[in-house]
Amino acid sequence: MIQSLNHIIEGFEGVEGALIPVLQSAQNLFGYLPEVVLKHISLTMRIPYSEVTGVVSFYSFFSTIPRGKNIVRVCLGTACYVRGGKDILKGLRDQLEINVGGTTDDREFSLEVGRCFGACGLAPVLMINDDVHQRVKPAKIRDILNSYRTVLEEVR
Amino acid sequence: MKITKITSTDQLTNIRDLERERNLNNKHKTEVFVCGGGGCIASGSLELKSSMENMIKEENLDISVKLTGCLGPCSKGPVIKVNPDSIIYENVRNEDLQHIVKDHLKKGNIVESLTWKNESDGHSISRAEDITFFKDQTPLVLRNCGSIDPANIYDYIGHEGYQGLAMALSNMKPLCVVEEVIESGLRGRGGAGFTTGKKWEFTALEKSDQKYVLCNADEGDPGAFMDRSVLEGDPHSLIEGMAVAAYAIGATQGYVYVRAEYPLAVTRLNHALKQAREAGVLGEHILGTKFSFDLEIRMGSGAFVCGEETALINSIEGKRGEPRPRPPFPAQKGLWGKPTLLNNVETYANIAPIIQRGASWYRTYGTEESKGTKVFALAGSINNSGLVEVPIGTPLGEVIYDIGDGIKDGKNFKAAQIGGPSGGCIPRQYLNVPLDYSSLKELGAIIGSGGLIVMDEDTCMVDMARFFLEFVQEESCGKCVPCRVGSKRMLEILDRICKGDGEESDIDKLLELGQQIQDTALCGLGQTAPNPVISTIRHFREEYIEHIRDKHCRAGVCPDLVRAPCQSGCPAGVDIPGFISLTGEKRYAEALKLHRERNPFAAVCARVCFHTCEDKCRRATIDQAVSVRGVKRFMVDQEITVQLPEVRENEAYARRKIAIIGGGPAGLSCAYFLARLGYKPTIYEAEDRAAGLLVQAIPAYRLPRETLFREIRMIEGLGVDIRTGKKLGRDFSIDDLKAEGYETIYLATGATGSVDLGLPGEEGPGVIQSLPFLQQYNIKGSVPVKEKVVVVGGGNAAVDAARTALRLGAHEVTLIYRRSRDEMPAYDEEIEAALHEGVILKDLIQPSEIERGADNEITGLRCSPVVLGEFDKSGRRRPLVKAGKEFVIETNQIIIAAGQRLDQRMIDEHKFETGMNNFIFADPVTCRTNIDRVFAGGDVASGPSSVVAAIAAGERAAVSMHQFFTGNEYIFWRDEKFIDTHFDPDSDPVPYDREKIHMIEVERRKNNFDEVEQPWHEAVAVRQSKRCLRCDYGKSCQNQEVAK
Repeated sequence: MIQSLNHIIEGFEGVEGALIPVLQSAQNLFGYLPEVVLKHISLTMRIPYSEVTGVVSFYSFFSTIPRGKNIVRVCLGTACYVRGGKDILKGLRDQLEINVGGTTDDREFSLEVGRCFGACGLAPVLMINDDVHQRVKPAKIRDILNSYRTVLEEVR
Repeated sequence: MKITKITSTDQLTNIRDLERERNLNNKHKTEVFVCGGGGCIASGSLELKSSMENMIKEENLDISVKLTGCLGPCSKGPVIKVNPDSIIYENVRNEDLQHIVKDHLKKGNIVESLTWKNESDGHSISRAEDITFFKDQTPLVLRNCGSIDPANIYDYIGHEGYQGLAMALSNMKPLCVVEEVIESGLRGRGGAGFTTGKKWEFTALEKSDQKYVLCNADEGDPGAFMDRSVLEGDPHSLIEGMAVAAYAIGATQGYVYVRAEYPLAVTRLNHALKQAREAGVLGEHILGTKFSFDLEIRMGSGAFVCGEETALINSIEGKRGEPRPRPPFPAQKGLWGKPTLLNNVETYANIAPIIQRGASWYRTYGTEESKGTKVFALAGSINNSGLVEVPIGTPLGEVIYDIGDGIKDGKNFKAAQIGGPSGGCIPRQYLNVPLDYSSLKELGAIIGSGGLIVMDEDTCMVDMARFFLEFVQEESCGKCVPCRVGSKRMLEILDRICKGDGEESDIDKLLELGQQIQDTALCGLGQTAPNPVISTIRHFREEYIEHIRDKHCRAGVCPDLVRAPCQSGCPAGVDIPGFISLTGEKRYAEALKLHRERNPFAAVCARVCFHTCEDKCRRATIDQAVSVRGVKRFMVDQEITVQLPEVRENEAYARRKIAIIGGGPAGLSCAYFLARLGYKPTIYEAEDRAAGLLVQAIPAYRLPRETLFREIRMIEGLGVDIRTGKKLGRDFSIDDLKAEGYETIYLATGATGSVDLGLPGEEGPGVIQSLPFLQQYNIKGSVPVKEKVVVVGGGNAAVDAARTALRLGAHEVTLIYRRSRDEMPAYDEEIEAALHEGVILKDLIQPSEIERGADNEITGLRCSPVVLGEFDKSGRRRPLVKAGKEFVIETNQIIIAAGQRLDQRMIDEHKFETGMNNFIFADPVTCRTNIDRVFAGGDVASGPSSVVAAIAAGERAAVSMHQFFTGNEYIFWRDEKFIDTHFDPDSDPVPYDREKIHMIEVERRKNNFDEVEQPWHEAVAVRQSKRCLRCDYGKSCQNQEVAK
């Protein structure tokens, strides 16, 4: 995997401001950004480690702890908030038994809060990986989550 | 797709002409457009497209299916448009497709059942050009969204694409381009609204070896998604706009900074960039000229602050996205220290048409000071949510009620939030405000990025402000103290207000902190962070005060203040889930007792209350609200022995002398609660029997007299002395009462004065006010009714008078109202029942003169039809008389129900101070008036209101008097009672629908005043009560002090 990382970094050689795109690709590759990866990036790209971690800790999309296979993001933008986004979040918390920022013990799901996915007309919405689920009702949450679980089991 | 490089503007024009010709040839061909906007994809439009293509293939039809950008009405998605007639199908599901393919595409028959429906009036409309949502829009930025395939550059070229760039490159010097943009009056569409051309000029005039053009596509404001739509639906318009900008300022490299939440936008833009390079409109030697320019995409990583220009630049440089102090401005020192131009997507999307068609053309749109159009993202509690583009200066009300088709579920508009976390809210009295930069600023809001969230009465404004502050607080980059710490402190204050721990001084503290943050924060986001709080305090201070003083959240939102939304929606604070669940277990006596803890008139309210509780019921989010009134009606009918709640006898209190003037619901309720504390008050009633308007105005077919008097006897049984035939001002004065030794006096005389219409001919026989009309019948037993009666008004009194007149033998009763039926203040079911019984309703009519014959008898009422104009202060459309269309309604009797007011003599005689509403001023907490030891409540202080509001007012006055005597704030009935009914929180809601309340047949209602509504059977009532979701379960809310 480190080799693929090197490959990514090479791809950005000579590109100004490449740190963030590199980190984004690295996170796609590893699922999260562990210390070894950050140190490796720092050394290879010749950017001080402090600057790398500074950037990582600034942006909410970067995670230094392992995350679930499925990233569940509840929108709490204005429109979703007005149309009941809070209830969806509560439902997810209860179902997954984790808090915002947490990951289930089986590493199936991580729960995060989003700020507007630009689907305000269909509020409240929920984004799992890149799929947007619209007009979610608390009663539908179980089914939505299960649809991701089943897919994964079949793959295994 | 094979793309050949275009090497000259002529070649570009040739391609355009070819495409145009092809489009023209296909003009009458059937073509299907499936909306591929983010919203419709989430609703399943991609699957629809592929199944549709398969079906078309199976049927051997020669019809192409195109995936387009956002068509606009996201809430109706997935949306499909079928050309040539642009027929719109909404909410299309997979199983609907075969009808569209077989009936419409094959045979040419429009499938009416699937076409567009207006939520507000239920009308079906098929053609886009007839649908208000599309018809009233002016798409410049969204010109191509929904009509071209975003993945096909030739489609864009065929719609005048890259003509603006070609014109700039071949005919204009860079500074001429800048001039043209300045001339157009275009202002930045991202937030601050700075003049775009000026920004270009600053950057163009800087000397440097390298300059950059940046696009801010980090559409971070929650509630705005027009940039997403342009990126996804018409990416080339952005590329073209940026290329023109690069030419104008002399840049060769650009970046588009897209937020990570928009993966589809990134994909489509990448694809468009690739095609643009292949076609030679991007890259080296664009269109064969010397000009070279290339674009790269940079993705955000989830930081709201990166929407701020200097933070965005830092982020592109690969650093933490913290803002830099300005100056130097990006135009001088931007990306990597070079002069940089930064605009947002919507701004760039305006550029190509401005260059191609000229600034003077662009200036025809908009207002004097702000030109062009603005895209608004309409969302929240609105029927048509989605993207709408209108000329700047369009009134807010038009966007909400015409294009947006009004508020969801027929609720009332409360406020619109414009401009996201940097913006503010516009309450209903300003529905007429033109959406332009300066008008909104005056009201404390901004156009901002154009997020327009519509809120109904179920939104708590304090919670809303808290939401935005929490957002800003979490997204604060932390670089400067005012934003990092100040917003934290403000949030803490709002948190405690929402929890019921607010302090009186909190509102001022919020304003002060807000002002400081505005003055001292480093970047625009910090400076505008307090706006939502300041704006809600400005327009909804009352709600803040209620949260702090009364621990009450009128919207039923703040969890710590609301046990159950229905209970908090009840003015009297009745434990609704409690009595419903007790009824569900057939424990009727306990249920009634619980009801009477807070409201003695259970049986009365079961018949006449307008049940605000049901408006707040959460069950409505699943199917329909619980029929609280239906359950209550069954419950009260089971009363055999009178169920009295706890009464605490107290000899010391019993010796106190308290007088209550007026034996209506407010006075009786006050007496009831005083008696439960151990007092023995005396009621002075002007008429022969107590009950006020309950007996004088509400007809017996709605409220049987025996039911009413039974509850009044119950109150008398508690030791309340009712003296009838004693009228204030006629038989006694307030000073007389004081002289008799009364220590406190409660004034609850109601609002019995009537408002005239002020029409010529109003004075004379045949014209009667609704209240005397109803009083005369209800008290004396008869009132003259003529053959043809016209009732003027739209409230409950008007409907009651109309139905009474019909029962008393009128042949024809016409009810006329100057606004539309939807706006009638009378309860819907009363209007329904009146129509059912044969009352003729004519809305949108304004009377102008009462015509009289030779003997001075009324012959007719001259009226004019009315059209609804702009929005007035009440948030309703103002009725405007249509001139020259007058007509006469034949009639012999006119009943006027235009409203109630105070008896002016009483105010003058006693020198009462009046409040803003011209009724008697009573302190909202203590209920005290300006006169010593005189309290007031009910209609006399609040103006005409509901029975239950009067009951609640009576309770407040009783509590206040008790405090006056004892200083004791503890009131035993305000404790929450523990209800030991069974409830399983994990069970699914029961599947039964809401049951209607049955009524006797119309024939049996004529010529009598028998009760119209019939109770349910026990099985129905029990089943209906199980529909309650028990929002109160597991909650006790000790804080709830006064339910207002």
